[in-house]
Amino acid sequence: MNYKPDEGMLMAYLYGELTATEAEKVQLYLQQHPEVLKKLQGLGELRTVISHIQDQEVIAPPLFMDDANVKPLWQSNYFKTVMSIAASLLFLMVAGKFLGTEISYSNGELAINFSGKKEPVKEIVQPSLTEEKVKEMIQNSLASNNEVITSNWTEDQKRLSQSIRQNLDQNSKKIDALMKGAADASQAQVRGFVASLQNENLKLMKDYFQLSTADQKKYTEGLLVDFSEYLKEQRRQDLMILQTRVNSIEKNTDQFKQETEQILASIISTPVGKTKNSY
Amino acid sequence: MAETLLDIAMMHSDSLIARAREGDKSAQGKLVQLWYKRIYNFSYKFFFDHDLAMEVSQKTFISMHKNLGGLQEIGRFKSWIYTIAVNYCREEARKRKTNRALSLDDLKPGEGEESYRWEESHHRRENPDRQLRHGELSDLLQQCLMELSVEQREVVIMKEYEGLKFREIAETLNVSENTVKSRMYYGLDGLKKILERRNITKETIGYEL
Repeated sequence: MNYKPDEGMLMAYLYGELTATEAEKVQLYLQQHPEVLKKLQGLGELRTVISHIQDQEVIAPPLFMDDANVKPLWQSNYFKTVMSIAASLLFLMVAGKFLGTEISYSNGELAINFSGKKEPVKEIVQPSLTEEKVKEMIQNSLASNNEVITSNWTEDQKRLSQSIRQNLDQNSKKIDALMKGAADASQAQVRGFVASLQNENLKLMKDYFQLSTADQKKYTEGLLVDFSEYLKEQRRQDLMILQTRVNSIEKNTDQFKQETEQILASIISTPVGKTKNSY
Repeated sequence: MAETLLDIAMMHSDSLIARAREGDKSAQGKLVQLWYKRIYNFSYKFFFDHDLAMEVSQKTFISMHKNLGGLQEIGRFKSWIYTIAVNYCREEARKRKTNRALSLDDLKPGEGEESYRWEESHHRRENPDRQLRHGELSDLLQQCLMELSVEQREVVIMKEYEGLKFREIAETLNVSENTVKSRMYYGLDGLKKILERRNITKETIGYEL
């Protein structure tokens, strides 16, 4: 068993402050370790000895304690704060009185005056125009404005119609002149144009034919050369085929000749009586 | 440690603490009455000095009165008040270290009935001889206790005489529970060696008493 209670555990055991399981463990350990048990018993005996120190009898003396927590109102922080603010305001007011400072607020205006009394300047504006006069003036101005606008408008209209007419006349004249010019110059120009066209066409046709005949020549020449080459090749191949055929026929005839010779030789050499089947 | 009516009252003083926390003067007074003896005895065992114990106790309860409103959990009152007491004890111990002034009583404590402690003892009306021997033994053991370091002494006193659990001591001293147990172990071990050196054993005590 590796369990070994430390000094703290032994103290708790000595004073009965261990749980049942812990106390059991320590007890088991003490059974196995008599030297520790002896030590603990010694401490227990010591406790018995030192318990002889007597308690001293004493009578509690009367303790007079002033209630320091309850402060008078004038010593409270709240009172001090309020008083300091009030004193500051009073000081400002007195200073303002001596310096002649005035602060006034009227009609949305905050005025601070540092030098004596001064009445605010009130500007009295006498109305010079009545409402009727203003209306009349507006009507007059409107009427004159309307007249000016109408006169301007009629003038503009007149100018516009004039300019349109002028433009139309000019355009019709121009068109007439153009039509006349076109009718005069038409026949000679058309002939010239057609002639030039014909010439151009002829030139183009010539060039085309020339170019096409040259190309055709080249092409047919090439084609003929190619065809003759092809024919030559074909002929050569045919000749080779014929050669091989003739050779094979020669071979066959030679072979046939040899065979007939052999057959004939065998017939000649074989006696007549022996030609009979031996079966 | 046998439970007295006072101990039971201390254990069930939650409503009293709650009222005191709200600023109830009568509840605060009752709390002082309930806890004064414990705090005084803790301080006395710490210093082995009546005047210092009285001073620390008074400072502790003045501090309690001032700061009780800031206590978050009523269930932690016990460790909270011991924390205040321990802090004042340490403070006084530091002061004492710097100016080593001794009272006239300490210079010549006297023997037997001449001792001022005999006058202070409330047991003197009982068997005087026996009570004197008891007082002497108590003082002797207290002297042994004073030989321990401050850290070990405060843990031994809180555990052995004030009956705090290891968890509560850890909360009071703001250290881990294992540290408290370790200090306790070495404190007891050291005390055992001191007593052996002075030949104070269970047997010799039995013979003396």
